[in-house]
Amino acid sequence: MKKDILAVFGIVLILAVLINGTHIQSVDEYYLTHIDDITPESETVTLSIRCDAVLQHYDELDPALRSEEFVPPDGVILPPTKYVLREGDTVFQILDRAVRSNRIQMEFQGAEENPFGSVYIQGIHYLYEFSCGPLSGWMYRVDGEFPHYGCSRYKLHDGQNIEWIYTCDLGQDAGALWMGGEE
Amino acid sequence: MMKHIAAGLICLVLFFGLISPVSAAEDAPDPLSIAQGIIDWKKSDVGSSPDGDLLCDAFLELAGSTAGDWYPVGLSRLGKTDNYAGYLAVLRDRVEERYRQPGKLSAAKATEWHRIILAVLAAGGDPTAFGRDENGQPINLVADGAYDRGKTTPLGRQGINGWIWGLIALDGKRYETPADAHDTREDMIGEILSRQLPDGGWSLGGGVSDPDLTAMAVQALAPYENGEIAVGQDVHGAVDRALVCLSDLQLPTGDFKSWGTQNAESTDQVIIALCSLGIDPLTDPRFIKNGSTLLDGVLRYRQPDGGFAHSFEYDPENPTARPGESNSMAGEQTLLAMAALWRQQNGMRTLYDFRPEEGTGSGEAAYFSDEDKQTVDALPQNLTTEQYVTVTTLLDRLEQSPDFAEKEAYRQKLTAAKETIEAIQEEIDSLNARIREKLYPFERISLRDRKTVNAILARYDALAEYDRAKIEHWEDVIKAKTQIDGLLRGLVIGVVLGTVAVLLAVSLICRIRQKKRRRAREMEELAARFSEENGA
Repeated sequence: MKKDILAVFGIVLILAVLINGTHIQSVDEYYLTHIDDITPESETVTLSIRCDAVLQHYDELDPALRSEEFVPPDGVILPPTKYVLREGDTVFQILDRAVRSNRIQMEFQGAEENPFGSVYIQGIHYLYEFSCGPLSGWMYRVDGEFPHYGCSRYKLHDGQNIEWIYTCDLGQDAGALWMGGEE
Repeated sequence: MMKHIAAGLICLVLFFGLISPVSAAEDAPDPLSIAQGIIDWKKSDVGSSPDGDLLCDAFLELAGSTAGDWYPVGLSRLGKTDNYAGYLAVLRDRVEERYRQPGKLSAAKATEWHRIILAVLAAGGDPTAFGRDENGQPINLVADGAYDRGKTTPLGRQGINGWIWGLIALDGKRYETPADAHDTREDMIGEILSRQLPDGGWSLGGGVSDPDLTAMAVQALAPYENGEIAVGQDVHGAVDRALVCLSDLQLPTGDFKSWGTQNAESTDQVIIALCSLGIDPLTDPRFIKNGSTLLDGVLRYRQPDGGFAHSFEYDPENPTARPGESNSMAGEQTLLAMAALWRQQNGMRTLYDFRPEEGTGSGEAAYFSDEDKQTVDALPQNLTTEQYVTVTTLLDRLEQSPDFAEKEAYRQKLTAAKETIEAIQEEIDSLNARIREKLYPFERISLRDRKTVNAILARYDALAEYDRAKIEHWEDVIKAKTQIDGLLRGLVIGVVLGTVAVLLAVSLICRIRQKKRRRAREMEELAARFSEENGA
């Protein structure tokens, strides 16, 4: 009788484990695979990628790119999305992680190949510098301000909002007047 | 928080402290010693020894990029000996490789050609026959990047820069344009002149004149200003107005502000522009403000390590932007400005005029030395991309060297090594592409991806350590592997536990049945005994 009770108890226990899931991880493994999960304690930043300006300058766009495949009709390549901020993250690192996880094409020039000593974003979503006229290219804005230096030099902190914007006139369409020297 | 504010204040004090001109009190140093300071700083920056070449293997990795091509120009125009042959070999290889891509050097930027043309000229190469394309034809950078660029993409696709630098590159050796050229000199000059603003300057997008672009436009127009090359346009008047504009833009400290930032490079470009016109930048009264010359303006940015800072404007929100620290671009442009000054003071041709100087011979012939043979013999059995620069430069020197007994053997060895390294580079590129394609988004990683991820791991393990460092986001592969291992472990545990549960259940049922049967038998026996007793 005692044995039977033990067996029944064992079955119930195993069923409970099976229902709960058998995905057992060490602490390190858990940390590694959940590094980008947003929890109430995580520090996060928001990132978006837009190319609205191209829609207004469609006649200047490289004819090979005149398709919804490259220029979404609403200009949104990535809507505002939250990302976990890791220690020491720069604007470039967040962008790099975001385009990878969303499988968005991106090409950049590494900081060592660039005399500014910062990563330079050449193209996102097949839209490159000069794809839409001689004053076009990618710019970034953090909390509404256009920094005067490269994206791999901008260290982020909790709650900041990063916007990558494709400009067709050196940023004036996006409100960056300093690029034209009109500060 | 207080700590941060205090740290910020200290930084501010430091940066403002640096603004006070370090060298104003001393006699103005000569261009050559300023240039030497930059070269020494750059050598330590790339990890070369003070007596070694600046164009060392680590530097040559940058050949063909904006960070790599201006230092060789500055060095050569200052008459410095360095590893130009090695630089040319790597640059040629890179150009040939890029010519196999659809946009060749760049889809939109003709200035990629222009910069490389000037660098090839500076290093002693011929940009009209630089390497070979896929069909074995010599690559003519001057045709493809300057006068015939318009046959594929307009020179001005990237704006005014394309016209200015196209003209400077075309005039590097006063190249003739053929009769069927898409753009002639006159066309380029016309495009530049048509974009001059009412105040005499130039800018990227119209509007406010920019000192850098204005100075660069003057550099491009300079050969036409004195009528050396006749064109039917008023270049002289345009340059005069440009100089008035530049003089107006100069700040009381001798330097300039561009794109809202007071910086070193704008001043460098103005020095180069004045030298290209034959004007002495140190004495022309139009360019001395409050006693500060253009050189004083540049020297404000000199750092104790000999290098130059881009600017001092400090953003307390973002200290990592590191103003007031020696910077590669400020260094290279100041190096060019010092070369322009030094050449002017020594009666030599202007900075971008690469026609032979009076009375100079050609460089010495390449020679494949015993030391080179030893380097080839000492190449590691397992090659990595780390040997790319060495193998490329040695192969080039071998090809140019006079014949010797083992030349063919060394050629075969080096060619095989080059092919191996190219194959490794292809593997690195393909592995990077595979990771990008297969791993994301992570939420969709499942047990079905196990084979893919394991294959990626196996390919990574097959690479040498140096090459592994070129795999991007390797941590993501580890993460995927861990995720899949976790899923697999869960599956195994589930199956094992499930089997145990089934076994337990079966044995329990058997026991219950057995018990039932035994009890039935006992009952029968009991009944039999009972009936026996009754019957007895």
